[in-house]
Amino acid sequence: MSSDHPRDDIIDTTAPQTKTREDRMSEVDSRFNSTLREAFGSTPFVLTKFDAFMDWVRGSSMFMLQFGIACCSIEMMHTYAVKHDLDRFGSGVPRASPRQADVMIVPGTIVSKFAPRMKRVYDQMPEPKFVVNMGSCSTSGGPFQQGYNVVKGAEEVIPVDIHIPGCPPRPEALVYGIAKLQERVKNGETSPVTVKPYELEQFGDLEKDELVEKLADDIDEETLVMRYNWADSP
Amino acid sequence: MSKTEEPAEDAEPEATEPVGAVDYDALEALLGDAVVRRESHLNAEAFVVRADRVQDALSTLKVEAGFDHLSNVSAQEYHDRFESIYHLKKYDDPTQEVSVVVPTPRDDPVSQSAEPVFRTADWHEREAYDLVGIDYDEHPDLRRILLPETWQGHPLGRDYNQDKPQIVEFEENVNPLADDHRESDTMLVNIGPHHPATHGVLHLETVLDGETVLDVEPDIGYLHRCEEQMAQSGTYRHQIMPYPDRWDYGSAGILNEWAYARVAEDLNDIEVPEYAQVVRTMSAELCRIAAHLLALGTFCLDIYGDFTAIFMYAMRDREVVQNILEELTGQRMMFNYLRLGGVVWDLPESREEFFEMVREFLAELPSRVDEYHDLITENELFQLRTVGTGVLDAETAKQYGVTGPVARASGIDYDLRRDDPYGYYEHLDWDVITDDGGDNYSRLLVRMREVEQSARIIQQCVDLLEEWPEDEREIQANVPRTLNPEPDAEVYRAVEGAKGELGIYIRSDGTDKPARFKIRSPCFSNLQALPEMARGEYVPDLVATLGSLDIILGEVDR
Amino acid sequence: MATTPVSIAEWLGYATAPLWLQIVLAAVVSGVVVTVMLTTSALAGPWAKRKITAMFTDRIAINRNGPAGIFTIAADAVRLMSKELIIPDGADRPAFDIAPAVLPLSALLGFAVIPMGSGLQLADPEIGLVYVFAVSSIASVGMVVGGYASGNKYSLLGSMRSVAESIAYEIPLVITAASVVLLAGTLRLSDIVAAQQGTLVSLGPIAIPAWYGFLNPFALALFLVASLAEVGRNPFDIGEAPTEIVGGYITEYSSIYFVLFFLGEFLHIFLSAAVLTTLFLGGPAGPGPAWLGIVWFGVKIWAVFLFTQWCRAAVPRVRIDQMLEIGWKGLLVLSFANLVLTAIIVGVIA
Repeated sequence: MSSDHPRDDIIDTTAPQTKTREDRMSEVDSRFNSTLREAFGSTPFVLTKFDAFMDWVRGSSMFMLQFGIACCSIEMMHTYAVKHDLDRFGSGVPRASPRQADVMIVPGTIVSKFAPRMKRVYDQMPEPKFVVNMGSCSTSGGPFQQGYNVVKGAEEVIPVDIHIPGCPPRPEALVYGIAKLQERVKNGETSPVTVKPYELEQFGDLEKDELVEKLADDIDEETLVMRYNWADSP
Repeated sequence: MSKTEEPAEDAEPEATEPVGAVDYDALEALLGDAVVRRESHLNAEAFVVRADRVQDALSTLKVEAGFDHLSNVSAQEYHDRFESIYHLKKYDDPTQEVSVVVPTPRDDPVSQSAEPVFRTADWHEREAYDLVGIDYDEHPDLRRILLPETWQGHPLGRDYNQDKPQIVEFEENVNPLADDHRESDTMLVNIGPHHPATHGVLHLETVLDGETVLDVEPDIGYLHRCEEQMAQSGTYRHQIMPYPDRWDYGSAGILNEWAYARVAEDLNDIEVPEYAQVVRTMSAELCRIAAHLLALGTFCLDIYGDFTAIFMYAMRDREVVQNILEELTGQRMMFNYLRLGGVVWDLPESREEFFEMVREFLAELPSRVDEYHDLITENELFQLRTVGTGVLDAETAKQYGVTGPVARASGIDYDLRRDDPYGYYEHLDWDVITDDGGDNYSRLLVRMREVEQSARIIQQCVDLLEEWPEDEREIQANVPRTLNPEPDAEVYRAVEGAKGELGIYIRSDGTDKPARFKIRSPCFSNLQALPEMARGEYVPDLVATLGSLDIILGEVDR
Repeated sequence: MATTPVSIAEWLGYATAPLWLQIVLAAVVSGVVVTVMLTTSALAGPWAKRKITAMFTDRIAINRNGPAGIFTIAADAVRLMSKELIIPDGADRPAFDIAPAVLPLSALLGFAVIPMGSGLQLADPEIGLVYVFAVSSIASVGMVVGGYASGNKYSLLGSMRSVAESIAYEIPLVITAASVVLLAGTLRLSDIVAAQQGTLVSLGPIAIPAWYGFLNPFALALFLVASLAEVGRNPFDIGEAPTEIVGGYITEYSSIYFVLFFLGEFLHIFLSAAVLTTLFLGGPAGPGPAWLGIVWFGVKIWAVFLFTQWCRAAVPRVRIDQMLEIGWKGLLVLSFANLVLTAIIVGVIA
């Protein structure tokens, strides 16, 4: 058995799956419409200046979510700490509660059991919120992409603004990524928010297939579930 | 090599002839009719035991033959049967090993649970059930452990289809204030999987009475990233080595790599050159320092709250170690430095500068350690918080297969570097640190002292390397391009990782990839003992105890 | 402050302003001045905290946006206020909405009677000291209501801890303050400040002022410890304890409500610093002309703030039972001993 070919009992097909990618590119929507922004209505001049000011505000000061997953979180801690000191950029205050955080750094591999919880933590953050993907795992599954349990990147579950490559990225790379995010926010650029392949749904709303029938006794109709269609993952 | 408690002569003869010390024929006679036949594994003899006599066999071995350490349970599926292998050792002398193999038929994989004999079998068997699909009779709580409850199929089984969809529940937890609490005053709090104290993604289902922890149950698997599957689909020679770096990612990469290197070298009969062993020893101990400093920093984070001075100082010193390791390996964390038969490259040029860098660090270290002692261990408030909390006594620790600094802080004198020598440790002068406290304070103290011992080892390695003759610097043994070990060779080997005994079981099938690759993670066993330590404590102590266990979720969940 | 209402009255067209207008204007103007000053101070608090912690930990902290990142204060404030306000499903309204306002309100009310020097004191009632303790302890109502109304278990735990802490340390705090009252013979804060004006001893050219902190350092230490617990700072920050109970009673609060809590907490630190300054450090007293009083007052309360941050960076957090033990079995006894001793000494000497 040669090593370049995956074993049959692990993966049946290696054909590219583009369905989720198409989903991702549709239905673009701005995430910057906070209630305050809506309150000001659409007075043109005031609003452009106000917008510029708000962009500067949001780009200059950010609270991070204190959120460690895997290997990258060690480098993330180093980024907060002495030598690299992320706080120089006004974004080095980790908040333990998602209610008070602006930026979520996703530092590690997302697995099937964790993805729904991560989605929930993301939902608990107030708008406007941003997500920085740290490392290959949260970008694509990284070295564990072939795993039976590994979600192929955080973007399958939540929208992401910045991807930082590396395994793990050096603290300098994370600092650069955050600085890039700040630059984008200051320029008022937004990332498209699209339908994600994996969402939390009520069990009762799932299409009735073999798997759902099988689990029907174990799971309550109203329980939130996440359904992974591994064969469709990119 | 010196020891702290026993005189050195005791262990020496056993260390030189590890397998011969166990009289397997006597053991077989002891086990009587439970044994079906005998198998020979590379590390020890194995007795094949009937599936309904597991408890008998294991308790005989434990009580009458003194094998008090259930190191690991490996489960696997053959084309005709399932098999669970119990790897037994002695805490007093881990070179004395024996394995108990329990085959079960494929159509009815029911085997007797070992949980009543060894508490640690609880989680190990749950994992075997989860990933391979063996049913354990008489197991108190046979549920999935790494994968979600609703998972379909057993992924390390032979006929698992990875492309099938899966559904994972996300259950809302009940609001305590909505409940009627007139009958019971307890409250269930979910600590994690996203919580600042869990050091990653761990879920503690905690039952509280006021602030007192009545019960706590660790729920793991939030970082189960299929390390065993990854290793089983990689080739021995090159493709597996990068993964160990990511088990215990607290900068303990080279220690983990060594676990794989040791087992694969035993399996393929590779002799590592002495020079490479010294380099390995030095780099591994650097990793241990980095890992222990991380443990210290995060433990203080739990006690002090917020990113305070000690955490920052620990990070500052870690940066120095990481710089040295980067100089040596080219990476800050995922070193990928060891190769089967040696290391990937020699020390960086110029060697003098490198040695000076290491020496400078070693010279600074004592003053740093003093600073930590000033700030932490001598602080009375800190002592108030840590002394006498999270106590784990030696007997319980052994029941749970606890190893590493946690075991040594409970007074168990167990360190594989000395007791089951590998690398260059036996030629160096260092001590195994133990402490009798068994509490959070002892665990911290043991780690801090181990940092000093590691520094001693590094110092000696640097001296050796500096004087090594230039034409004898052999970094790699001659290893064939493709490794195809004998079919059906089985081996279990462990090294002393940063958190304890990090073992790997490999079964080869004649190809260039392992047929079964099982990781024995020290954190997995250590974490299992958490409820014993935390029951009856307050919430802050639960958090502190978890911190002092120093678990790395990447290694717990694999 | 006294002249300002008159000049405003002149500007409004009254040659000599009627008395009611003077009173109203005086109240409004000084109220606005003090509130703005305090809120700015409290807003600068988080920034200062970041910079101070950075100094303790060999870092730099914010240095973008203006000198030493000073404009980040504005950015922080506006950003937090502009965030989405999340009201959790399980929240108990309107309690959830009222709680955040209670904290800053109680602290600001407390400042009304503090003599800040340079003639800045909004009111000077005879029972000033009692009033300060009375209004500042309203804050615990905000904490418990907020924690309960959030419908979150961590919030509940946090609020319970905070209340237990407030009750345990309020008594030693008041008893210790009472020993100062014995020395000064009055509850009026301006009189307490005035009583500390003299010189305790002269060591050559250095005259040590008769501040009660020098006269009775033991009481100062007791008061300082009790204050740390009262405002929930290390080693007594168990009410929030991020690594244990996420954020305690503020776990569920976002946006403007979070700002209010945050502001309230910092105001409380400053308030307890101000009370400590008034009781033990001679209030606004200091070398130089009298109008420098406000500056000296500011220096002193920021020094106390610095101390709280120092503790935060270097002292571990105690456990809830230990906190209660220290409070009920240690500080309470010591503060009564201090009171009795002071009473005896005052009685013998006077």
